[in-house]
Amino acid sequence: MLTIVVRAVIIYLLVLFLYRLMGKRQLGEMQPFELVLTLIIADLATIPMAEVSVPVLHGVVPLLTLVILHYILTLLSKASSKFSCFLSGKPVIVINPQGIDHKALKDLDISVDDVFEAIRGCGFFKVEQIQYAIMETNGKMSVLPKSQFAPVTAGDMKIKAEKSAIPINLISEGKVNKKNLKTAGVDEMMVQDLLKKAGAKNVKEVLVMTIDKAGAVYVQKYGNKYQTFQVQPLGRVQE
Amino acid sequence: MTKFGWFKLASILILVGALIAICLVEDRLVISSLDEVNRYCYAIETAVNENEGIVNGEVASLVDNLEYAWQRSESKLCFMVNHKSIENLAVEIVRLKTYIDEEEPIEFYVSLDIIKNYVETFQHFMGASFHNIL
Repeated sequence: MLTIVVRAVIIYLLVLFLYRLMGKRQLGEMQPFELVLTLIIADLATIPMAEVSVPVLHGVVPLLTLVILHYILTLLSKASSKFSCFLSGKPVIVINPQGIDHKALKDLDISVDDVFEAIRGCGFFKVEQIQYAIMETNGKMSVLPKSQFAPVTAGDMKIKAEKSAIPINLISEGKVNKKNLKTAGVDEMMVQDLLKKAGAKNVKEVLVMTIDKAGAVYVQKYGNKYQTFQVQPLGRVQE
Repeated sequence: MTKFGWFKLASILILVGALIAICLVEDRLVISSLDEVNRYCYAIETAVNENEGIVNGEVASLVDNLEYAWQRSESKLCFMVNHKSIENLAVEIVRLKTYIDEEEPIEFYVSLDIIKNYVETFQHFMGASFHNIL
């Protein structure tokens, strides 16, 4: 049993490392060749774990080979758009201003119902609201609505909007994130001031505290409703 | 190139190196282990023929050496090869010793032939060949 435990740990760490090496895309929107790789890796990883007589190397060697192959294929598809097209296909317009493109549906081997399902997933329930719908290579649908059905933006209304800013997490689950303090240009004294303002005696009472470049603070204490308040805009946020 | 890009490239190069090393080590290990067993088998056969029988010190000593050599090789081969596919060889070597003790030359020859056959078969399915790949 100890053998299986140790082997499971080794394989787990190796697969984890290999997935990190392959990049984040592997975890979300996968191209066909990435999906194939993921399926094979899942299967290969279990072989040496389940069978003690099989050496760990019998699982490790094919895993490494596949990752190297994936790296080479990724490099080639980056270098050549033709190769990328061959490997992953290319986006196909399934709805154009004339309506649903039946020929495209036939090429993609999908039905009209599938198109309706995909556009509903994008928040549109009528085909006539859509200018273009594109089936991406990862199987997801991208939709460009007709201008009269597109959501109104501040730009459309000619309203001057403040620049969007990403809130920086200063305190998370009772612990100060010192790296983020540095990023936000906030010192410990200011954190104490913010805690005081939020009515917290110390950091441990706080579930989460964020601040953005404009000085908007979001604080939630354990067991309490969140509160927001405004402080001086931050001067030296590292972008 | 970004820091992660370099890390990725270095990792991939290390992995390629590791794969090549594993393949070479496996090939060398399998060939040398099986050759050693083969050499012992022929030495035992010669000793049996020269001494006209299996019950003598030279044959017993060669079988002991064969067992020791195989045990050493087996522990290394287990890192590379499925243990189940090589365990029969150890069983046949133990049988050789039993047949010497029980003075059963016919069974001894059969076991020796089985070992030689195993060695030949292993060389076929362990090595990298077009036949094995397909």
